[in-house]
Amino acid sequence: MLKTFRGACIANIQFQQVRFAHRIRGKAPIYCRTIKERLEELNYKDEIYTTRIDIGFPRTKLSAADLRTNRLDHIKKIKSDKNLEQLARNHKLEIDLTKARNEWLKTSGPYQKKQIADHYGVFEHLYREGYFIPFVNLDIYYNLKDGSLLPVYSGNVVKPAEAIEYPSVGFESDGKSLWTLALTSLDGHLTEANKEYVHWLIANIPGDAVEKGDTIVEYLQPFPLKGTGYHRYVFVLYKQGKRVSYDLPKVTSSSPLEARTFVTRDWYEKYQDDITPIGLAFYQTDWDDSVKDFFHNKLNIKEPIYEYDFPEPYIRPQEWFPRRKPFNIYMDKYRDPKQINKEYLLRKLKNEDPFKTPPPPLKFPNAHPLPKSMPSWLKLHEKKIRLGWGRVNDV
Amino acid sequence: MNSLRIISLQPQMWVRFSSTIPEFINRNPRNLERMRIARKPDGYHLDKPGRKFWHKLVLTPSNRTVTAQVVHFLNGPVIEAKTSEWALRQQLYSINDTCAYINLGRVFAQRCLESGITEMYCDIKAASGGKVQKFLDEVVKGGIKLEESEVYKKPMPWDMLRPEKPWEINEE
Repeated sequence: MLKTFRGACIANIQFQQVRFAHRIRGKAPIYCRTIKERLEELNYKDEIYTTRIDIGFPRTKLSAADLRTNRLDHIKKIKSDKNLEQLARNHKLEIDLTKARNEWLKTSGPYQKKQIADHYGVFEHLYREGYFIPFVNLDIYYNLKDGSLLPVYSGNVVKPAEAIEYPSVGFESDGKSLWTLALTSLDGHLTEANKEYVHWLIANIPGDAVEKGDTIVEYLQPFPLKGTGYHRYVFVLYKQGKRVSYDLPKVTSSSPLEARTFVTRDWYEKYQDDITPIGLAFYQTDWDDSVKDFFHNKLNIKEPIYEYDFPEPYIRPQEWFPRRKPFNIYMDKYRDPKQINKEYLLRKLKNEDPFKTPPPPLKFPNAHPLPKSMPSWLKLHEKKIRLGWGRVNDV
Repeated sequence: MNSLRIISLQPQMWVRFSSTIPEFINRNPRNLERMRIARKPDGYHLDKPGRKFWHKLVLTPSNRTVTAQVVHFLNGPVIEAKTSEWALRQQLYSINDTCAYINLGRVFAQRCLESGITEMYCDIKAASGGKVQKFLDEVVKGGIKLEESEVYKKPMPWDMLRPEKPWEINEE
């Protein structure tokens, strides 16, 4: 009975073609998470590590009602100004940018400065979890040789050659309080990662007269290393509650570089009862020739040069019988690149004579015939060298 | 999306001389983007608003005001200028007419330059002669480049050409 039943079953099977290639891999789209959700879960950090503390001053609140009435009056005045209306209708109304900037600094400027400083990771590397809103605007200008002034705002680029002399600093002060100004480099430490160099530190500045303060650390020009890109240099202004004598050794321009090693967070932690950060300005700078002079003439050491470490290219394991591969190109992949470069260099030096003028480059490199007996792979190799393609560029 | 940040935060440099540490790490999170070797969030080329950028210019006109922002692909909006903020409104006749757009462009360009962001991706398709076009013209006139450079890819030894390294080009 059983046998006959099974036999009947088999006879009824219809052989269908199944297309395995179009099967959905993984979960169906309605159940699986998106790449964004998965990355968020992977990079989740606990609140302990992400909570931030405001170490600055609170906002001085103005009376909202007064502000509103003043502004409404002003807008009414503007709307009834026929001259302004004509200018606006003819697309000729141009606002005063300095006036707009000054107003911005009084209203939303400090908050936006904090935002951009966060974008550059300034607070993270100065105070780790601490941050502050820079309510006092710092006007910092480097005097250039041609008499013009180069300002420092929040992240603009200043070349080291332009910042050799100390800048002029100005800020709005009530005249009574004392201030501290610090300039540190967040990225420039030569020997220890996560440490800074203090380039300038002036304490007990009365009013806004920076020259009258006690210079603890004399000014040092920025020295971003060659090949390491853009370094951040941060000016922070602290408001002092009283006269503070920092327990720091005096650093002059002739002191060794190690004396300038500094950690803002530790220093601030020690004096946080007496000083509060209130002003911020920073710039980015990258290598130029003045850094070389600085290392050779001031520090009397060899200038370190770095290069970005790109990942090595993947080269798959060598095969005994590679198929459809040009043998010379294939074999070159598994040779020592230094040896290959040496061969190219020797070939180049063979035809060079220090007492003769070098022959002019070929005007039509492909038009010069190669011997007929030459194998085609060698012809291609020669042509590549003549055209300056490929490994010949590495010499 | 943070995994990208971790990679771009740790440039590994190697040293040719032994006077200092062999591996120097620049902590500046914007450094690799400026040197053009950071990653861009690639892989979303089928999505309509492109995501392959580090900084992007976003212009949002509402019924009453106009907002211009620079948006970073990880950190969100980093620079902002609005016509409704008092700094601009104080001097404008109307806060969404052509003049408002032109002046917004000027202020926005100034703020970007102050923050050291001079290149940004922009996918705004502006009607020629319109307000938006005038805004973009002012931004360009203010010194902002409205396209971002390609990521520098290190050439393989067997590649035909060796493109110049962006960080070795001297501007002067």
